[in-house]
Amino acid sequence: MTETVIKLRLNQQQLELMDRTIAQGVAPDRVSLVRLALREYAAARRAETAEASR
Amino acid sequence: MTSRQVISEFVIEPGTGKAIELLQGQILRVEQVEGGQCADFNCFNLHDYKEFMHCGRTRTVHGFHPTKGDFMWSAPPRERAMLYILEDSVGRNDVLFPRCSAYVYEASYGFAVHTNCHDIQAEAQREYGLTPDDVHDSFNLFMCTGVDADGHAFMTRQTTKGGDYVDLLALMDVLAVPNVCGADVMKTSNFALKPLKLTVSAATEADLAKVPKVPKLASQRTPKDFKNRAIKSDRPLRRDPAYKPDFPNTPIVVTELPIPLTPDELAMFQAVKHSDIYGDDDAAALRDLLFSWWEERFLQAHAGAPAIENR
Repeated sequence: MTETVIKLRLNQQQLELMDRTIAQGVAPDRVSLVRLALREYAAARRAETAEASR
Repeated sequence: MTSRQVISEFVIEPGTGKAIELLQGQILRVEQVEGGQCADFNCFNLHDYKEFMHCGRTRTVHGFHPTKGDFMWSAPPRERAMLYILEDSVGRNDVLFPRCSAYVYEASYGFAVHTNCHDIQAEAQREYGLTPDDVHDSFNLFMCTGVDADGHAFMTRQTTKGGDYVDLLALMDVLAVPNVCGADVMKTSNFALKPLKLTVSAATEADLAKVPKVPKLASQRTPKDFKNRAIKSDRPLRRDPAYKPDFPNTPIVVTELPIPLTPDELAMFQAVKHSDIYGDDDAAALRDLLFSWWEERFLQAHAGAPAIENR
């Protein structure tokens, strides 16, 4: 499976927020957190689109 | 105790205001006598006038028309709840408009002298040694305002009647300064100046029980935390030759975090990314997505506003 790599540019404060979120058990590591964010964000947009089309 | 014990009563006449020491646990009722009168309001920490009510923070937390159940907050870096709006029989207050001033009446109406909220506030505050420069942005009780389609704030007539009131419960010792808005040639007070009744009373246990918890955070700083603790006592500004910049969290250092995306994930990303803003910069678009998601999932208040309840 071919993966595409996107290099996020984050400062130390943004990384701190990510790490505190990870410490709460939301995701096991930074990469997983970004992937979780992508899945949930995309799902929320799909839900909004479905709601708007009703 | 089931009823409030009245401590003092005042009537402020048109063109006047009154500075009142309102101690923690006391309630100031600002009440319409005839109806249709706006009251401008300032508020200072009684023991440190440099802490004062901040309309900007208050409107960010509670919107343009704070009412029953909302707080009046002090300015950063204090950011404490100073007063709690315990009751509001009308529910229409304003934190959009600044106080009216002599400039407004001279520039727009040609008055050499005219009652205006800035000067009335300044005169009322003078009783406690404050200067006209110490008057701050006012919380406008009973003022009926909004924002029109092109983004301008507007004011219109109010529908208050005699007996309508707002109850403000002090959460700290404050100097509370209401004044009868001086605008008689605007809609603010329906083109007439009328007196207002002020009543100070002791809150009951039932009153105090209505106040929601507010955070106590390390970021709510006081002069003991300041690098400059002394209040500047002269007017000119001069550079401190000993000054060395000490900005928090600097330097800001950006690092790269490679995120491998599967074809499915990439498709998801392509479907929702803000390419209208970020163009081909997928890294910026993914960063936007990450923190937008975080706000949606974890932020308890409007973006830019502090959460009220303890986290």
